[in-house]
Amino acid sequence: MSTFIQTLAVGLRLGSIYALVALGYTMVYGIIRLINFAHGDFIMVGGYTMIFTVPMATALGLPAWAAVLAAIVVCALVGMGTELIAYRPVRKKGTNMTALITAIAMSLFLENLAQAIPAIGPNPKVASQIFAAGGLRIAGVTLEYTTLLTIAISAVVMVVLYEFTQKTRLGRAMRCVSEDKEAATLMGINVNHTILSTFAIGSGLAAVAALMYMAQYPKIYTTMGSLLGLKAFVAAVLGGIGIIPGAVLGGVVIGLVESFTTSYISSSMADAFVFLILIVVLILKPAGIMGKNVGEKV
Amino acid sequence: MKRRFLSILLAGCLAASLTACGGTKEESAAPADSGDSASGEPILLGTISPNTGNLAAYGTAIMNGVNLAVEEINAAGGVLGSQIQVINADDQGDPTECMNAFNSLVSQGVGLIIGSVTSSCTSAITDSANEEEVVLTSPSSTADSITTEDDYVFRACYADSFQGAIAAAYAKQAGYAKVGVVYCAADTYSKGLYDSFSAACEKYGVEVAAVESTASMDVQDYTNQFASMVNAGVELVYAPYYYDVIGPYLVTQARAASYTGIIMGADGYDGAPSYVVEGADLTAFNGVYWTNHYDPADESALVQNFVKAFQDKYGEIPMAMSALAYDCVYMYKTAMEAAGSADPAAVRDAMADNSLTYECVTGTFTLDESGTPVKGATIVFFASEGSEVTTTLVDVVKELPEA
Repeated sequence: MSTFIQTLAVGLRLGSIYALVALGYTMVYGIIRLINFAHGDFIMVGGYTMIFTVPMATALGLPAWAAVLAAIVVCALVGMGTELIAYRPVRKKGTNMTALITAIAMSLFLENLAQAIPAIGPNPKVASQIFAAGGLRIAGVTLEYTTLLTIAISAVVMVVLYEFTQKTRLGRAMRCVSEDKEAATLMGINVNHTILSTFAIGSGLAAVAALMYMAQYPKIYTTMGSLLGLKAFVAAVLGGIGIIPGAVLGGVVIGLVESFTTSYISSSMADAFVFLILIVVLILKPAGIMGKNVGEKV
Repeated sequence: MKRRFLSILLAGCLAASLTACGGTKEESAAPADSGDSASGEPILLGTISPNTGNLAAYGTAIMNGVNLAVEEINAAGGVLGSQIQVINADDQGDPTECMNAFNSLVSQGVGLIIGSVTSSCTSAITDSANEEEVVLTSPSSTADSITTEDDYVFRACYADSFQGAIAAAYAKQAGYAKVGVVYCAADTYSKGLYDSFSAACEKYGVEVAAVESTASMDVQDYTNQFASMVNAGVELVYAPYYYDVIGPYLVTQARAASYTGIIMGADGYDGAPSYVVEGADLTAFNGVYWTNHYDPADESALVQNFVKAFQDKYGEIPMAMSALAYDCVYMYKTAMEAAGSADPAAVRDAMADNSLTYECVTGTFTLDESGTPVKGATIVFFASEGSEVTTTLVDVVKELPEA
């Protein structure tokens, strides 16, 4: 029994991180139909920002997590910069495929750029303790408060994002752009502006994800975004990409699959199972768990 | 106009990222202008190390060790009247990149190479070294498979069959009858140590009661693995990983999973105290034992001179990795002087002569038929009272005890 609870706790811990990251993927995809492969690297940017801002926050007498505010700003700027410098010009000229390749290029570019900056460098860095240690004891297993907090944050972010896209003016504009760019322009929506805001919000979320990641797995390195981003992307697709609650569901499912594979099947097969699940789900339900099968509009 | 500006900017960014990849290759240790009386041509010494990537601390340690040794040798007049010139190549801790680094060194005319660091990288280039007839001495690749026969491949460290067995012998001596293993099945180093540890456990009559593995060396959660160690009731777990996993992840997670026994590791643990979480409860590191190549507090003159010179130059106590890299340079010097030539084939023959004795920081040793030193290991442990992790010597093991 305690093995089961332990496995569940680890699964939730991993899953809550994937869910937070997947929210960023799904948000950008939902609006501009672009799989932003650089999203994982925005998390790296957020992580490194906090490596520098956490000591500053503590020096100022603020709690360590306050450092995330600076990281949100930095990530949002990097996200908007990426959109302005790379994605927008490419989108104007090319097709969806060129945009996708640009996203991959941006991801590699950010990883290598980070290594070239002397203050960051190629060495991994270890974060300081962010939240006080401790947790709930259930059947001899500790479910850490950080894990519970991550799940709570994912849920809150999910609800806020959902309400935001449904109720606010900007949110409605985002949905319009997502449905039909030309029509949105005709209705007086500034498409470029809306997409830029989407990137700002999506990248800001990456900073929050980076905070929760660091709190549980305190190693920051320049390529940390690649596998993390890939798994979160799988989570987003699994839940139904573009669907906000789907990202959280997908993230938690992926985390649990990974953890239960480790405990009960084979500890070296965890990643293989994650991607196997993706293939199975895509065969059975191509639009993802929460996705609706809609025919392509012609 | 605006678009053109943006495309130029983007091209500039891409170019910058290219130099970011290539910029790590640098030539250090100024070539010979002081040794002008000699033949003039410097001896090219190539090094391959992970200067970037997860194991970048090893790259720095290797370069520091090599540069210190080369400076000392060059200042004393070089080898056979020639100065040594170091050409460094980065393998990012990746076997494919290691092959590229090797090819790049060979194309620059390098015939003597020190490298690479990890066993998985070095095993990617050993065949090529034999084909190209380039002498390859790895400072730290401990996997048995690195050098099994009389060829162009040598090393400055002991092999894993020895290192894993030392750990098993320690488990036996300390009275642990049931042990567990957490390792990475996909990594040459981790898998090699697991194999030799479990073989030695059998020899010493220690039962390996639980074995868990991870899919890669980049996995970030080890909680489930240690929870199953707790369930199996073992009190010593052998976990051969590198410092970048031990410091931030493995030890803390093992303790969080209620595992209170001994965690035992190998030379990959060196450097872990610089990678612990500031502000966390570091008493988790009590009861972590590992095998290493040398003890910086050793009182022999060789060790003390090296530690002092290193500290004067870099301001820190050298890791075992630096000591091994330093030794590699002196091994080449000894071999070149014995051969009377810097020609790769002649140096190889000198090193293949098993009677040649090397007086090094990590011990005075000869090489066996495969090219692996015959020398001892040290067993050390981490200790912490809360905010800092220190390393203390337990024992120096010269040879394996009988079963």
